[in-house]
Amino acid sequence: MSQRTKPELLIYDFGGCEGCPLSIIRVIVQLSQIVNVSSRYLGSVDLNRSYDYAVLTGSICLDSVRHVETLRKIRENAKIVIAYGSCASVGGITLYARGGQEPMPEHRKFTSITKLIDVDYSIPGCPPAPQTLISLLSNIKQGRGYFLDLFKASSYTSKLSGFDLIDEIVLTGLCVGCGACVLSCPTNALQMIEGHPDLIPEKCIRCGSCTVRCPRFSQLLMQRAKLLEKSRILIRGVSGEKHG
Amino acid sequence: MVSFQSFIIDPEYPMGMYIHVYEAEAKDSRIKERGKAGGAVTAILLYLLEEKIVDTIIVARKKHGLRGETYVVKTPEEILEAVGSIWSVVPYTLGLKEKLLSPEVKKSVFVGLPCQAQFLRQMKMFPLLESDFSSKIYLIISLFCMGTFAIESFLSYVHTSYRVSPDDITSVEIVKDKLLIKHVKGELTISVDEVLPYLQHGCLTCPDYTGVFADISAGRSPESESTLLISRNKMADKIIRDAASKGYIGIREASVKVIDNAIEKSREKILRSYKYVSTLI
Repeated sequence: MSQRTKPELLIYDFGGCEGCPLSIIRVIVQLSQIVNVSSRYLGSVDLNRSYDYAVLTGSICLDSVRHVETLRKIRENAKIVIAYGSCASVGGITLYARGGQEPMPEHRKFTSITKLIDVDYSIPGCPPAPQTLISLLSNIKQGRGYFLDLFKASSYTSKLSGFDLIDEIVLTGLCVGCGACVLSCPTNALQMIEGHPDLIPEKCIRCGSCTVRCPRFSQLLMQRAKLLEKSRILIRGVSGEKHG
Repeated sequence: MVSFQSFIIDPEYPMGMYIHVYEAEAKDSRIKERGKAGGAVTAILLYLLEEKIVDTIIVARKKHGLRGETYVVKTPEEILEAVGSIWSVVPYTLGLKEKLLSPEVKKSVFVGLPCQAQFLRQMKMFPLLESDFSSKIYLIISLFCMGTFAIESFLSYVHTSYRVSPDDITSVEIVKDKLLIKHVKGELTISVDEVLPYLQHGCLTCPDYTGVFADISAGRSPESESTLLISRNKMADKIIRDAASKGYIGIREASVKVIDNAIEKSREKILRSYKYVSTLI
């Protein structure tokens, strides 16, 4: 494939632990074979041009006008926006930061980017293994598939965690005890007790991995997305009109 | 580059995407001696181990009553010993991670239910964590599933209504529209409709009958004692054909009637799922 015909992909981090962009760096060679990558690490970020894909990482501090404006600009210039990693997609551990906590942060509020702009695909994970991005681009190119629908559906929510899993699947009796959530939890916050998961609240970092791995929760997300697609309500921010 | 394989659950494609549907029987004398009907999945597992294509097989094994446990098989002898006790009544993956992370395990086959095939496939295609362990899973085999039981209430019903003690149950199978419960004192046949209320609520919302996320789906053929095998990608199809050419299994293309039956059951489960999910939103 020639350099010119490859899609343009922007990787942009809005702040956090840098785990997501660093994880992507590990597959930068593989990624460069299918897209032209613009990244801060490559010194090639230009926010005044258009992109086919924008892969956004980190959560947004609502006190930072600069970050909010940058996010709006990227949305306007990108055909497909991917919220990559738990902070960008579902808030992750930054949801616990609510201001006035010792010793920091002073910022009042962090939120996932899915709350501010219309996102096309949302990938939880802390951080997602970089192979995920390659798989996602491949699936988007083909334009179909259950998992593509799932990650589209998860862009309609801005909060997913072990708490939601317990509330919506376990306590409602929908859990079949397959163990997907327990096997997916990076902090061992979930444990199997009498055939069903139980949550250790202090250990949950709200990464959302358990919810998108749970076959039943995935189903709920997709069903809700179908309803929300028709009447998408943004809490604040840009209108999020789709490009292309 | 990742090779693309589409996975869908849709009433228009009720059995998902697949290459071939076969009817198969075990040809291996060691399996036939044990008198198991079909046995094609066991024979394929035997082939994969003996040809050293994989080094480990992970299945759920009956522990006691209807309880199961993750069982790691490393030798053909262990597979043959497990014939008849491979358990698919409950999804069971506890301990899977620890077992797969063992340095001795390099390439394994997972045999499970559609829900397990789904999350393992997702784990393979979209690893959401650096610590995901699915790279060691070479092949996913899913057994057909109409739903699993809420164990306690189901056992209590069988005990109360038919005086069969949970600990005496040796196997539970669906044969046509009946549930065949084998126990130490004999056999018990109950209509599926009778025990439907004892399915897990989550299973009623599940739309996947055959296991569309697996490489190979397997279930009992409605027409005969053979096993229905669905190959969903080239690798899976090659494994089935190679196992046949080496004499482990006998295969033939499934008849239209048999495929229609599987499609009908798959569609039935999808529609049941739509009905239950619509009450949850």
